[in-house]
Amino acid sequence: MLTAPLVLCLGNEIISDDRFGPVVAQRLQEEQGGRLGADVIFAPLAGFHLLDLLAGRSAVLIVDTILTGSAPPGTLHEFPAGTLTPSKNLTTSHQISLPTALELGRRLGIELPAVIDIIAVEAQDVETISENMTEPVARAVDEAISFIRKWIANQSRKESDHADLD
Amino acid sequence: MKSVVIDPITRLEGHGKIHLFVNDDGSLANCYFQVPELRGFEQFCVGRPAEELPRITTRICGVCPDAHHMASAKAVDGVFGVVPTSAALKLRNLVYNAFYAGDHTTHFYALGGPDFVCGPDAPAAERNILGVIAKVGVEVGKLVIAQRARGQRVIEIIGGKKVHPVTAIPGGMSKRISKDEQAEIIKIGAEMVEFAKFTIKIVNDVVLANKGYVDLILSDMFTHRTYSMGMVDANNKVNFYDGKVRVVDPDGKEHCKYEPKDYLDYVVEHVEPYSYLKYPYLKKVGWKGFVDGVDSGVYKATPLSRLNASDGMATPLAQAEYERFYETLTGDKSGKKPVHQTLATHWARIVELMYACEATAALAKDEEITSDKLVNKPQHIVGEGIGIVEAPRGTLTHHYKTDQKGIITEANLIVGTTNNNAPITMSIQKAAAGLIKKGTKITDGMLNRIEMAFRAYDPCFGCATHSLPGEMPLEVIVHDAASGDVVQRARQHC
Repeated sequence: MLTAPLVLCLGNEIISDDRFGPVVAQRLQEEQGGRLGADVIFAPLAGFHLLDLLAGRSAVLIVDTILTGSAPPGTLHEFPAGTLTPSKNLTTSHQISLPTALELGRRLGIELPAVIDIIAVEAQDVETISENMTEPVARAVDEAISFIRKWIANQSRKESDHADLD
Repeated sequence: MKSVVIDPITRLEGHGKIHLFVNDDGSLANCYFQVPELRGFEQFCVGRPAEELPRITTRICGVCPDAHHMASAKAVDGVFGVVPTSAALKLRNLVYNAFYAGDHTTHFYALGGPDFVCGPDAPAAERNILGVIAKVGVEVGKLVIAQRARGQRVIEIIGGKKVHPVTAIPGGMSKRISKDEQAEIIKIGAEMVEFAKFTIKIVNDVVLANKGYVDLILSDMFTHRTYSMGMVDANNKVNFYDGKVRVVDPDGKEHCKYEPKDYLDYVVEHVEPYSYLKYPYLKKVGWKGFVDGVDSGVYKATPLSRLNASDGMATPLAQAEYERFYETLTGDKSGKKPVHQTLATHWARIVELMYACEATAALAKDEEITSDKLVNKPQHIVGEGIGIVEAPRGTLTHHYKTDQKGIITEANLIVGTTNNNAPITMSIQKAAAGLIKKGTKITDGMLNRIEMAFRAYDPCFGCATHSLPGEMPLEVIVHDAASGDVVQRARQHC
């Protein structure tokens, strides 16, 4: 088990608001260098591939875009991965969903993180090939970075408390 | 009149929609299939150095980056007027077959297979890979995961990265592989072949042994007599990476066989006002609407059509399965072709899986793949290049034009699923018409059978699948045909 928390930034660098994940990853890597207290990975992946990245980790924060239609573009949604469960039954795409991947991993005995949290920005445009995000989504990057720093600090504190108990 | 749409709820964009317009008496009035299309990729390419495109185009699609990498690399070879070295061609072929082995595995076990392994009437909650392993065992799930890992490892060794390869460059490949890496790929290739044998057994035991499934596959509701397209080698055997594009008519007679550079002489695109995605058709036959037959230019570019367009497979176990495929489905032992049942595409995919695994195993043993002669350096700029490969879900074309400095001035792409836009529409229409009859109540099982007609094509709108929750679902919406009002939505997961 890898003890360092993982910040897993998903997305696509050339699809408008889907750049959110890679932009956040780049900011974290540039600003924090090696002092972040967590591993930061950008991956343009989904489904099965996520299982590969999650296996063996203790705590993971996924950074991504989402389209709920229930909030203005640029709104950050924070939730544990478990709340995506209702979507696991969809079967018509190319990739299995994150909840399906996690359930599959559990059934196959793959060691998965005890903590999988998600921070996803409400997107405005994920269909235009572009190296620019829409303004509301671009403005949400700073807020996401702040959230991620707090999340990492929380994970470190939990780890420390756990060590004290030991 | 009512209309039905098959629709996702977790994402509001980036999904396919099926609209069913239903009359007051319950009969089907009309049916439309809509898919999203990413905007502006061709324009995005303009102004960029051509040699950057094989790396950039892998970002078009989260599903088949390897196919775009290879088609783009071939187009860029053309732009620079250079042919890759023999060793580089073998490496490209090897890594591409390893990619196919993983991709076809994913489709069979996670996407298309659940309809058969779990059954078309199984509750939606069970009709997925979790249902598959519940039925055939956890050990099968482990085998599937292992097979995927094998393909990815080969891509990592040869392509430089696990998922999005980066090593195909103008005139060859940029990364040499070691003898140790070759030994690892040889081992992987042998394991892949064993997995393909196991998958054929699953097809036999779970699908072909069930008369109900065989009847469903052979039913007229899932049958279209269209033209079939696929790339073939010099012996008319299926080839995913290189060769000529061959098209046979609905009776199996060769309609044309052309070099990739001549594709515009054979394929043109029709536009419908309700869909962003165009409808390619055969230029010399013409567009006659969403109809099949020898007078309609509609063609399929799928695993099934690749088998139809070929004279066989280039490896022994795949060839044996190819022969069994046609004997079983035509009832004729003389090699009668073609087969037009859309649901047979799933089995055709397994024939191709076996070929991809055998080809990986065979190429892995070639001593030349560890050669250091990996690049024929470009000497001048031709200014135009066309690259075609067979993506798992259809013939993929990249066409670039550049200025004298090799800067892109124009780009045109026809992606795999686009080829099948018209047949997918026709398949959905026919399945819907066969199922939605006067006086019947529309059930989830009926809507799933309509989706099965769509799913057999392994369609890919996956370019934005990275957004949570990581799926590109399909929506079925029922409309009142008179008013257009939505009266029912199929949301299987609700």
